[in-house]
This record gives sequence, structure tokens and C-alpha cells, in this order.
Amino acid sequence: MFTSSFKKTITLFIVIICFHNNLSAQNINQYIKGHFNGSIENYSQYYMRDEEIGAYIPPDRYGSNTFLKLDYNYGKFSTGIQLESYMPPILGYFPVPVSNQNKIVNKYFKYTEDKFSVQIGDFYEQFGSGLIFRAYENRQIGINNAMEGINVHVDPTSFLKMKIVYGRTRKIMDYANSVSRGMDAEIDVNNLLGIKEKDKTTHVTLGGSYMSRYEEYTGPIVDFPASVAAVAARLDISSNNFTLSSEYAEKGKDPNLLNNQSFDKGKALQVNTSYTKNNFGATATFRTLTNMNYAAERETEFTSISPLNFLPALTKQHDYLTSNIYVYATQVKGEAGFQADVYYNIKSGTKLGGKYGTKIAANFSYYNGLDDSTDIFSISDKKYYRDANIEIKKKWNKKLETTFAYQHIFYNASVIQAVSEGEVNADMIAAGFLYKFAAKKSVRVKLENLTTKDDKGSWASALTEFSFSSPYAFFVSDLYNYGSTKIHYYNLGASVTKKSTRFSLGFGKQRAGLFCVGGVCRFVPASYGFTASLTTSFAN
Amino acid sequence: MKKTARIGLLFYLLLTANLGKAQSDFPSIKLKSVSGKLIDFADLAASSKDTMVVLSFWATWCIPCVTELETINDVLEEKQAIRPFKFIGVSIDDSRTSQRVKPFIKGKGWKFDVLMDINSDLKRELNITDVPHVLILKDNKIVYRHTGYIAGEEDNLFEIIKTLN
Repeated sequence: MFTSSFKKTITLFIVIICFHNNLSAQNINQYIKGHFNGSIENYSQYYMRDEEIGAYIPPDRYGSNTFLKLDYNYGKFSTGIQLESYMPPILGYFPVPVSNQNKIVNKYFKYTEDKFSVQIGDFYEQFGSGLIFRAYENRQIGINNAMEGINVHVDPTSFLKMKIVYGRTRKIMDYANSVSRGMDAEIDVNNLLGIKEKDKTTHVTLGGSYMSRYEEYTGPIVDFPASVAAVAARLDISSNNFTLSSEYAEKGKDPNLLNNQSFDKGKALQVNTSYTKNNFGATATFRTLTNMNYAAERETEFTSISPLNFLPALTKQHDYLTSNIYVYATQVKGEAGFQADVYYNIKSGTKLGGKYGTKIAANFSYYNGLDDSTDIFSISDKKYYRDANIEIKKKWNKKLETTFAYQHIFYNASVIQAVSEGEVNADMIAAGFLYKFAAKKSVRVKLENLTTKDDKGSWASALTEFSFSSPYAFFVSDLYNYGSTKIHYYNLGASVTKKSTRFSLGFGKQRAGLFCVGGVCRFVPASYGFTASLTTSFAN
Repeated sequence: MKKTARIGLLFYLLLTANLGKAQSDFPSIKLKSVSGKLIDFADLAASSKDTMVVLSFWATWCIPCVTELETINDVLEEKQAIRPFKFIGVSIDDSRTSQRVKPFIKGKGWKFDVLMDINSDLKRELNITDVPHVLILKDNKIVYRHTGYIAGEEDNLFEIIKTLN
């Protein structure tokens, strides 16, 4: 099953780790210059059939993802590698079928001076808010679009910062068949004008970025854009209690599979503002975009494979089992909308605040379609998503804490999931209790109810988590559809954490969504069976 | 196959070639704090020679992280009076949620400063796989790290801070 190169690599790492572990017994720091650190992460599943929930058994009943990352830094030099092993990948981890794979996916060498750095190999980078370029890793949801090539940072003056990238983007376990290059520059206006920094000074920065992707075209269309460029400009103003940031981006003609070979330009505008004072904070973000899917390959079928830019859904990410049934996803073909948040802490010592204060968080998000795909201001009446929610959290004493939440959701399934189920209107209420009955012993209970006449009808859920003595924790949960399917999605599990090592074991039925238990959140695909995970970080 | 072995060998040689006298310096990674200051992690780690630095990696969407930080915030001044330490939050919120961080912490009334690790540069450098993740830096070294949060975990952390040599 293991390839011989993989075996050799593993042997080398074992030698390295053993060698350094051996040194650590003799106080490693007496002998080793620099800083060495790494991490190992494994997530495995064993699949069982459950026709009721639609969980099927893949050709191999097991799925196992492993990541090994090793980094070494000495003064101005850093180097490292990342090894990934999918034997085979856990179900749904990649949007397309991937066979057994073991590979060193990342390797880099970096040299850093005070105002200059250069990295050769695989790197992560971001321009502005990512509208035209972001290379990043999110292991939970299986995204890694690291770029392999060269990344240079230069600060030629006190007011100018520049970033240059040139390379090819990772595509699952290989690289995309294209070359991309780009540059970002940021001007600190305060430094440019020589304004002295004080606590209450308003700070202004301007930024601009450029990105270009070349992918060979051998088809019959004359003037087909083999190179697709994108530009963005941004302005950020911030003072002690007020911020305003805005970014505008445009992408050239980019006929691709996901935009039905359209020759229209892509456009995006994002504006965010926030205001804070003691015990109060508010923020609002407006974003409109059209045809902004910008991938390393034209014929990419999914936005999660080899993206060049980053267009996240600007909505609140909930950790309620029932809320996560209806989660919005950015409509890269065209959408417009906003979200706003308000946070308020009713001070301790007041009647409503009690001894520890009462914390209130409210959020509202609103997304519609566009009437004209070439005009980002042609906001249509077609509703895509609404979410209005409030959460009140109160600590009554050193032992008891309660949470209450309400949420109203509107979800346009025919747009977001491209299915014919139509529209969903739902209301969710939740209550949570955390009781610490003795030192390091606690119990957490969370109850939820989501009411809807649409889709599969209403849901209820209950979760209990016990921690009898650190480092052990146990949980039992059930998510039940009492609307039409009458299906129970039950789960139980245990975890043990020692310093930076965590091992957990679970059994149950899972539907796709964000799942948070025992202190860690993870996106999971629908499945039935056993799960095990191990994470550890180490350093000298 | 040869290529993989060669890369492994290069890495191994780099490690062993540096055997020598003690030094544990961290890479320079500059992060903006919500108060607008640019902070270099290497300098922050170096400052742990005078007062130990406790870093808590978190995100606005991570409920266990928020629960942990709320609990720590409630008793922070009391614990710092027992043995002084610097407490800093490191938000790994990316551009999906980073605009929320400042209003979020002000609205919670948190008293500590928070660094913005928008593209997870520091998280990656320190090999942190999941949040919450707490690190104690002392004498320019990571002397303790813990992943995940279960109610009561903060008592362990304060106990370690109190007893560290």
C-alpha cells in the first residue's frame, strides 16, 4: 500500500524525531540552535451502512487523513515540509474522487531580513481581503491552494509594503495547469505624511493589487483570453473607536465552466464599517459581486478546487446543530447583500448585569440576487438568504452559566443548493447550561428546536457534555427530525487531552455540517460509523 | 522517489548541521493588534525573558474559545496580581469574520489585547492545528501548550503559571 518513496520519507522523519526526542532527554536546547517544531494530525473513519440517512459504504470501509508538518527556524532562515496521506481520503473530503495518496505536498525555504523576505517553495499569501488572491489552508473543509513558486516581501520605505507572488497553485494532490503572478502594494498614508502616532490618531492606508493567470488555450475561439488578469484597490481608515474599510475588484474576461463560458467581466465591491466603545461594539459589511469565480484552471467544476481568490459567505457562522442545516454559500455568479452585528455587555454590578455582566450578541444578514449580471448595483427582489439572530449569555455565579438564542432563517434552497425544494422559512430557539459542580468537573447541556413547515419539516436536538476530571470529556447528542423523516442522528464519544495532544473517539450518525464538541469544531460529511482523531504539536 | 529522499536528507542535514550552543529564537512574524499596533512575534517572545507571555489562539466562531476567554477575563487581574504575566489573544478569524473581532471584544468588555492572524501565518508557524490553543512563553521558549477547552481548564493554566520556574 505504501510507496517506497513514502516509506523512505517516513523512515527519515522517524529518525529525525527519535534523534531529537533522544536529545530532548539531555536537554535539547543545550545542543540545538534555532527553533524546531511540528505537528501531526490524523482523522479516521470506519463506515457502516444506514439506508435511512443515506449513508453508504464506500469501496473501502475505512477513510484516513494524516498530516505531518515540520518546521525549522534559525535566525533569518526557515525551512519546512508538509506531508499528507489519504488512505483513502475520508468521505466527502475532496469534491472529486481521489485514490490512495501519500505525498510531501509542501516544502519551502525562507530567508527573512528586517524589511525583506523571500520564500521559495510552497507558500500561503493574501492580498487585501482576498477578493482577487488568497492562498490558504483549511484542513477541516479540505481546502489547500498553496502556491508553489516564489514569494517576496519588501518594505522599501517606512510607508510602503510590497508583496510579489509567482507560481502555480495546488490542485488537490498536484498542481493546476497554469501559472499565476501578482503584486500587492500598501501605502501607510500617516507614515508618508510623517504624522506622529498617538493613541487617538486616525490611521489611513491605501492598497492596490494585481493578479494574472495564464493557462494555455488550444481551442478554436479567436481572441480567447488565455491570460486573465484581476485588479483591486482598497482604502482603510481606522481610529480609536471607528473603522472603515473598502475594497473594489475587477476581473477580466474569464470564460469558464462555472460561469457558462461568459465573456463578461467580474466585479466586486466590499465595504465594512465598525464602531466601538466600552462594552459596546457594532459592525456592518456590505458586499456585492458578479462573475467573481477566479480559479487556477478554467475547467474547474467546484469552487473549492484550486481557487485563486477568496469569497466567503459573509454571514454568521453558528455552532447550533439545527442552525447548521441551512447554511448560506456565496453565489459567485452574482449576489448582493449585507450583514450587521451588535455586541453589548450589560455591566456587572447593575440590576440586569449581575455580578459577572450579561452579554448580548445580535446579527442580521441579507442576501439577494442581481438583475443584470454586468451591474453590481442592480440588486434584484430575488431573496437568497436572511438570518436574524440574538444570543444572550449570562453567568449567574462561579458555577452556573446560561445561554439563550433565537434565530429566524430564510433559505432559498433552489439557488443555494440548486435543487427544486424551493424556499425554507424556519425559526430556531436554543437554551444552554454550563454547570461546574466541582473543580475541573462540569456538565454542559444544550437544547434546540427548529420549527419549519418547509423542506423536511421541524428538528430538535439535545447535547450533553460531561467532564468528570480533566483531561477526559464525554458527550452524547441527538439531532431528531420530527417533521417528515423521523430520523435520529445520535452521536456519542469521548476525548482525552494532555497538553497539546488530543485523542477522541466517536460513534454515530452525522449529517453534513459544522460539528463542535469537546472544544473543537469540524466540518463533517454525512456518514454512519466510528470516528477517531489524534492531533499533537511539538517543539524544542 | 530520489527527489523525496533528497528533500528529506536536506531537511535532516539542516537540522543536524546546527548542533551547537543554546539558542531558541522565533521567526519574525508581524501581526496587527486590534488597537492598531504592529507587533513582531519574535520581539514578543523575546520579551518573555522579563515577564512570561500567555497567548491564547481563538476565533469569534469558536464557542469553546470564547467560553475560555470569558472565564479568563473574569479573573485575569486577580491572577496577574498573584504572579505577573502578559495575556494576549490571537484571533485566527480570516477575512470572513475578521471585521467582527474588534466590536466583539469591546462588546464583551475584554481587557486584554488581541492580535489579528488573518491568514493564519503565526498559527501555521507554531504548528497549531485546532483552536482553542494556549501557549506559555518564558525565557524566549514555549514552556507549555494546551489544545481544546473543557470547563475548568483555566484552573490548570493558572496553576501552571503560578508554579513555573
